Amino acid sequence: MHIIVCIKQVPDSTQVKVDPKTGTLIRAGVPSILNPYDHFALEKALEIKAKTGAKVTVLSMGPQQAVAVLRLALALGADEGVLLSSRAFAGSDTWATAYALATAVKHIGSFDLVLCGQMAIDGDTAQTGPEMAYHLHIPQITFCESIDANGNTVVVKKLIEGGHQILQADLPVLVTMTMPHDYVAKYPSFMAAHKAQDKIIRTWTETDIGADPHKLGLEGSPTRVDRIFPPPTRAKGEVYSGSAVELANKFVEILKKERVIK
Amino acid sequence: MAKNDLMTRNLMLDSLRQYAKNRISFNLLREHDAKNEIPLDILKEMYDHDILGVHLLLIPEEYGGLGGQTTEIYRICEQLARIDLGIATGVFATFLGSDPLNVGGTPEQKAKWFTKIAQENKLVAYGATEADAGSDLVSLRTRAEHVVQNGRVVGYKITGSKMWISNGGVADIYTVLALAPGGPSWFIVERGTPGFTQDVHEDKHGIRLSNTAGLAFDEVYVPAENLIGLKEGQGFLQAQAVFGYTRLMVAAFGLGGGEEAVETALEYAGQRIQAGGPLSQKQGFMLKLITPHYIRFEAARAYIDWTAKQLEVNNHGLATEGAIAKLYATESGNKAAEDAIQAMGGFGYTKEFAVEKIKRDVKITCIYEGTSEVLEMTIFRGRWQEHLKSRGQYYINQAAEFDALHAQNPQVGADSVALGLRALARVLEDCRANKLTRHQYVTFMLGDLISEMEVAAVFVRQCANKIVTEGSRFDLATLCTMARINARQSAFKTASEGLRLVLGTCPAIDTAQVSQAVNLVAIEDKMRGLIDDMDTVSAKLRDIFKK
Repeated sequence: MHIIVCIKQVPDSTQVKVDPKTGTLIRAGVPSILNPYDHFALEKALEIKAKTGAKVTVLSMGPQQAVAVLRLALALGADEGVLLSSRAFAGSDTWATAYALATAVKHIGSFDLVLCGQMAIDGDTAQTGPEMAYHLHIPQITFCESIDANGNTVVVKKLIEGGHQILQADLPVLVTMTMPHDYVAKYPSFMAAHKAQDKIIRTWTETDIGADPHKLGLEGSPTRVDRIFPPPTRAKGEVYSGSAVELANKFVEILKKERVIK
Repeated sequence: MAKNDLMTRNLMLDSLRQYAKNRISFNLLREHDAKNEIPLDILKEMYDHDILGVHLLLIPEEYGGLGGQTTEIYRICEQLARIDLGIATGVFATFLGSDPLNVGGTPEQKAKWFTKIAQENKLVAYGATEADAGSDLVSLRTRAEHVVQNGRVVGYKITGSKMWISNGGVADIYTVLALAPGGPSWFIVERGTPGFTQDVHEDKHGIRLSNTAGLAFDEVYVPAENLIGLKEGQGFLQAQAVFGYTRLMVAAFGLGGGEEAVETALEYAGQRIQAGGPLSQKQGFMLKLITPHYIRFEAARAYIDWTAKQLEVNNHGLATEGAIAKLYATESGNKAAEDAIQAMGGFGYTKEFAVEKIKRDVKITCIYEGTSEVLEMTIFRGRWQEHLKSRGQYYINQAAEFDALHAQNPQVGADSVALGLRALARVLEDCRANKLTRHQYVTFMLGDLISEMEVAAVFVRQCANKIVTEGSRFDLATLCTMARINARQSAFKTASEGLRLVLGTCPAIDTAQVSQAVNLVAIEDKMRGLIDDMDTVSAKLRDIFKK
């Protein structure tokens, strides 16, 4: 069994602010991390590996420094890494990214399961995984909290409005994972970090994977970002306490003061 | 297997940070600090191969370790210090305790003990200090007598006591310095050996999460094979061979502790609104209590990293450089922690905030592995020899290098470094000509000035060579501004303090003449634009640490 996990290097969003004047992200001094949803998906793949002996390949697209998240994935137990890196990929929206990643998956060769995080925390689109399934012509299941796989099928627990669905699918399939709120990401031991240096990371360009350059980058991206801005800050609410009668009176008083009622 | 690359180092640092974030809350630290308890379970987890396995860094690869290089070990030390200096000390004691073995052990001894430490996650302690033998190890009293069978030395009986031993009460393996018939020697003693007892945990001012205890030896028998290197009399050489290295690690402790304190204060200052705006926007607040510390931290980081890279090539030695790194970084860290309390006012003075604890903790870095005063003397002795050997040209020759650097890059303060080095050479020469080093105080202060100028010089050289030290969060332009500020202040301190020493001990000297000789006016002239530069650094700090 061969699992391909798609991962992305993202700025640690807990430390990123939007410059209200320019609408750009302030990246100065902000560390890069492995997208937490991808981290979770990778851990699930490694659990399947531990159980079935599956091979796990991690795939990422980004600038050269994104190799750091592949190294982390290898230290956690993935077998091989692939980085798609070239100027041609720069500026790709989710559609062009999904095309590039799907083309790379086909280039890697045989696979049974593609795992993705539900979304990246820097874009929050949740589109790349489903679009990859389209490009790969395979079925997809999104928003899964758990996954179990054997040689032929997967069984997943999919999060839906107000509950869960347990679904089974034949391989190959693409699954996007969402993590529980109390998820604590695993990090490698020092020895595992050390040993990951000997694992292979391949860097491929669009030519290596035989991708159509017109379907990549800005040219291959139908989406245009109009502008990015921080949500307007809302005025702080006020909290009152007291008995029901007191609060009702207070409420009437405020509505009068605000000239909502007379 | 290849040496760890930068990405591997960063992975290890991330793992350590994440472990601390998930496992070591401030409340846990506070409770243990209050109760004077060491979190043994945390230390054990940090040694657990599947969780972190920190101690594997100090063990050579051939014995199942990671064969950590100086750079990654100092960076881990810095990070450990940011978490808690007591825990850091517990981990460091194993590093330190293993050093005599690393330096002097036979291949068989290394195989036996390193494998044991690596595989069984053993805590190690370094037993050198005694009541009358601190920095002055010559006064060593603990003795190791021969045990002879059939005319052959088969073992030793150790008698004596050690004090203030980190991990003393909790270690499994101890390296103990004792006076054998052939001279001072290191022995390996295991916990549980008959006659070997450990005292109670000391009630200390800080690093209360680190176990510190005395050791008592009453005719403790160890087999001859536990004599490190199987040769008596090598103890002092083995101890001194690693000072450059071990002091560099404590330098990283000073840096990490100081950074954590000031960062806590700066975070607070970004939120504390006083007189219409956050404290971090106030020039006086930043320039007095925050900004100068970041400048010294980056200078210290550049120097520590530079020394680490030299140690990786030279393996051992660099005792003067190690002493400079430790003196500079730990004194800077200590002062920074003091100002972090001041910056946070009443809040900083309470146990609700980390800075109060850090201030108590970081003080030890100015004491253990050589007090600041012992280091000043070491630095003075090391460079005084160079001054005499070169007939006063040691720093003058270096100044020429900085003249050239200034011609290439006038923005990094190389001109101030050149002036400062020449002033230093002049002060040393005045001290020689007038025999002023008969005053012990003068030797201490010269040690301090030497450290100040050498750190400033390395920082400027790194910036001129466009090197952003790994672990720094600043861009090259900001680092250049910092180097320029630091160079000016170090040169000024060297010239003015040098004058104070020379005139203070030798009233016969003509004031105008010495003042001219150290070129004080030219050094003062470099101060133009200093406050603007400091404001630039403050603005950058606000930007980076914006919440």
